[in-house]
Amino acid sequence: MRKKETASQKAIQQQVAWAAPVLGLVLLLLLPVFARYNDYVLQVFTHALLLATLALAWNILGVSGSISLGHAAFFGAGAYTSALLSLDLGVSPWATIPLGGVLAAGIAAIMGLFCLRLRGAYFALATLAFVEIPKVITDNWDGLTRGSLGLVGLPGLPSLRLGSYHFDMSGSLVGSYYFVLGYGLVLLVLVTLLFRSNLGLALQAIREEEVAAEAIGIQVQKYRLLSLLLSAFFTGITGACYGHLIRYLEPGLVYGLHFSAIPMIFAICGGRFTILGPALAALVLYPVDQFIFHPLLPAGHEFLYGAVIILAILFMPSGVWGQLRKGHFVSIKTGSIE
Amino acid sequence: MSLLKLEALSKKFGDHWALKEIDFSIDEGEIVGLVGPNGAGKTTLFNLITCRHRATSGRILFANKETTLCKPHEIQKLGISRTFQSSRPFAKMSTLDNVVVGRVFGGEFHLFAQSTDIDSAKQLLELVGLAHKEQTPAGDLTLSEQRRLDLARALATQPRLLLLDEVVAGFSPVAVKQAVDLVRRVRQRGVTLFIIDHFLSLSLRVSDRLLALDHGEKVAEGRPQEVMRNREVIRAYLGMRHEDEPHGA
Ligand SMILES: Nc1ncnc2c1ncn2[C@@H]1O[C@H](COP(=O)(O)OP(=O)(O)OP(=O)(O)O)[C@@H](O)[C@H]1O
Ligand SMILES: [Mg+2]
Repeated sequence: MRKKETASQKAIQQQVAWAAPVLGLVLLLLLPVFARYNDYVLQVFTHALLLATLALAWNILGVSGSISLGHAAFFGAGAYTSALLSLDLGVSPWATIPLGGVLAAGIAAIMGLFCLRLRGAYFALATLAFVEIPKVITDNWDGLTRGSLGLVGLPGLPSLRLGSYHFDMSGSLVGSYYFVLGYGLVLLVLVTLLFRSNLGLALQAIREEEVAAEAIGIQVQKYRLLSLLLSAFFTGITGACYGHLIRYLEPGLVYGLHFSAIPMIFAICGGRFTILGPALAALVLYPVDQFIFHPLLPAGHEFLYGAVIILAILFMPSGVWGQLRKGHFVSIKTGSIE
Repeated sequence: MSLLKLEALSKKFGDHWALKEIDFSIDEGEIVGLVGPNGAGKTTLFNLITCRHRATSGRILFANKETTLCKPHEIQKLGISRTFQSSRPFAKMSTLDNVVVGRVFGGEFHLFAQSTDIDSAKQLLELVGLAHKEQTPAGDLTLSEQRRLDLARALATQPRLLLLDEVVAGFSPVAVKQAVDLVRRVRQRGVTLFIIDHFLSLSLRVSDRLLALDHGEKVAEGRPQEVMRNREVIRAYLGMRHEDEPHGA
């Protein structure tokens, strides 16, 4: 009797695990229609999607157990690289956006040199401090970056030509929305493949028991570095997209604590042991913040994030999605989307 | 030919000698028990052999190659695996994934787990009696199940030499008996075993030889019955330091 109940509970859980993401995807694809092409709604969800990609990218490192508070370094470096190359050299954003990722990964290699020997809170604090390096450089290298004046008039997101079709990604909010959605889906597929691969297994093993991981032949530092580089690469791409989306940059904006803390908050609330959790948290929390808390508390609406992270740490250490997936985190065997 | 050779191996923590000048060797195919009271230096010896700690002096040779200064993952690649005194499962990963990861990194690396990796991981779970728990997160297993999972994961790396640190501590008599069978079956696979067993419940039954340590020093080595008759060993075990105290073993 009991067994039957738990079996059916499990079946329901499995169904939720499948149905929720599929339903979410359909909603996201049709969102511009539901929103009746309302500018504000589209803007909020475009930004929510962008933050979802930031959280997904952050968690490529997060899944290995390292909590970074320094991802703004990669976000800012990606944004500035792509902006300057397209603005000053006239290179197409199609090329400059990935280059933003490459520079971010280069910065991550330097960060790794200093920080990867550390663990836990020490790692987090070291990464937090590290952000100052690219920020100060960007702020003071006036000749290259225009310093604290910032950059204005960035080219918009690139447009896509397929035969006679021409998708304008920058001219309309709907175009931008689908551009970010497309990038988000590509990143989700890549992260799923990565987490389900043996590389993903190694990163999880390192997170769970570093000594045992080493004893079965995993080169711990090599894999930690690899996950940092991949995480930084995609964070840089997200930063680059952000620049072309809002079309101006300032060091204080893109290197701010906001872009370091927000992906960590989403990952921890959503579930940093899962694939989807961080992205789902971004897609729920940011719109809630903007539509509900912002009008109520224009000055202090971000207290929402502080509150949810405290609640998550106290009551749901594996995050909301992690809790729903109870014990079924990323696995090579279970066929579901975690 | 000896598979593992220790030459005057010593380890000092601060000003405390955890191991002093240990000379010992193990032949291919042997099962050797490592016995001694708490704090004798048994786990430290394993930590040196697997290069988790660096020897203060002396040499370690594995398959005629000096390994004293290797890195832990290099030792594994050469063919030494171990279990831990308090097991270290990858708690949030499934029991099956715990073994698969051992298989993948102990063997040839592929980006995605091959079905052969998964099949052999399943066979190992069968061997240690955990087949019915393959989807359970390893952290939810009982302590004795986690010990067996540790063993399956170590075996998955296909070692030539397997170091077991207190695998049967806290096992029921029935479970110890199963472990005896298990160890024999592991040996049949061609694995050489070095087994730490404080309470002797396993090593007396399966070992070809014993090495007894006390206070970091080798006090005896040889056939199990001989070693257990050794006065030094009896004294170490009963914690007796004076000749005039009776001993009943
Ligand atoms: N990392 C370390 N740092 C300092 N001292 C250590 C360390 N590891 C072990 N020791 C000391 O070395 C000695 C031997 O310890 P070890 O763990 O090897 O004993 P053991 O024979 O495995 O004992 P037990 O049966 O309790 O597991 C002890 O005195 C212990 O306190
Ligand atoms: Mg010990």
